[in-house]
Amino acid sequence: MDHDLAPAGPGWLVALETSGLGESLRQSVWLYPMVEIAHILGFALLVGAILAFDLRLMGVRAPLLPADALARLLLPVAVAGFALAVPTGLLLFTTEATALAGNPAFLAKLALIGLALLNILAFHGLAGRRMTDWSLSDRPPPGARFAGAASLALWVGALACGRLIAYL
Amino acid sequence: MTPARPLALAALLIAATALPAAAHHGWGGYESGKEMTLTGTVQQIAFSNPHAMLNLQADGKLWHIVLAPPSRMSTRGLPADSIKPGQTVTVVGYPAKSDPAELRAERITAADKTIELR
Repeated sequence: MDHDLAPAGPGWLVALETSGLGESLRQSVWLYPMVEIAHILGFALLVGAILAFDLRLMGVRAPLLPADALARLLLPVAVAGFALAVPTGLLLFTTEATALAGNPAFLAKLALIGLALLNILAFHGLAGRRMTDWSLSDRPPPGARFAGAASLALWVGALACGRLIAYL
Repeated sequence: MTPARPLALAALLIAATALPAAAHHGWGGYESGKEMTLTGTVQQIAFSNPHAMLNLQADGKLWHIVLAPPSRMSTRGLPADSIKPGQTVTVVGYPAKSDPAELRAERITAADKTIELR
């Protein structure tokens, strides 16, 4: 660990970290844990709802639970979780911007989230667009099963990398 | 596909992504068998999240001491500004496995007050 307590690195990261926002979050006694709690709640909703839907895409409880009906409950929950996790994550980033920008677990987490978002776009543009066609079928189409498995691996990986930030 | 097969696949995918933690930050990154007591002068203190840190001049060396989160330090009796540069403090803790000048403190004595940090 660096023995100099002052942040060092690219200018915009130093500016972010030494900003009033970064400084007050770092110095706050209870605001920082509150932001952490909101971040955890956000990704719990996001990953929990997405994993449940991923399992359905992979065929779990098909055709008992119609995929399109399930999507109407789980996907808004996931979106709400994402909407909570992103701004709180940005706030947490400002407190340690320079260290995080070089942290391999943080970079891997961002990459996995990027891939997971691309997977969402691909699914909704392909198999997901015809969801009503296979919503009640015994077995979802290969595209849906692949998207579900990929999503599950990517989001669990992103979550694991997020926790590993503190250990790498 | 029966419902059991995708569930088994899901379990496998989760297991494959659960990486082993290369501990550096938690207590696992420190030599718990090598407890040390250092008394010295505070050079610099950052009473900040996620955990407070201070630089301590002790035993002819500059030590980087990792403390507890500010909320815990405060509730246990050492709030912000109770430790200042120039002050003499004593820490009991363990050296880092990866850095011989870093120590994770189990407890700290400052301003006639001793608090546990874990």
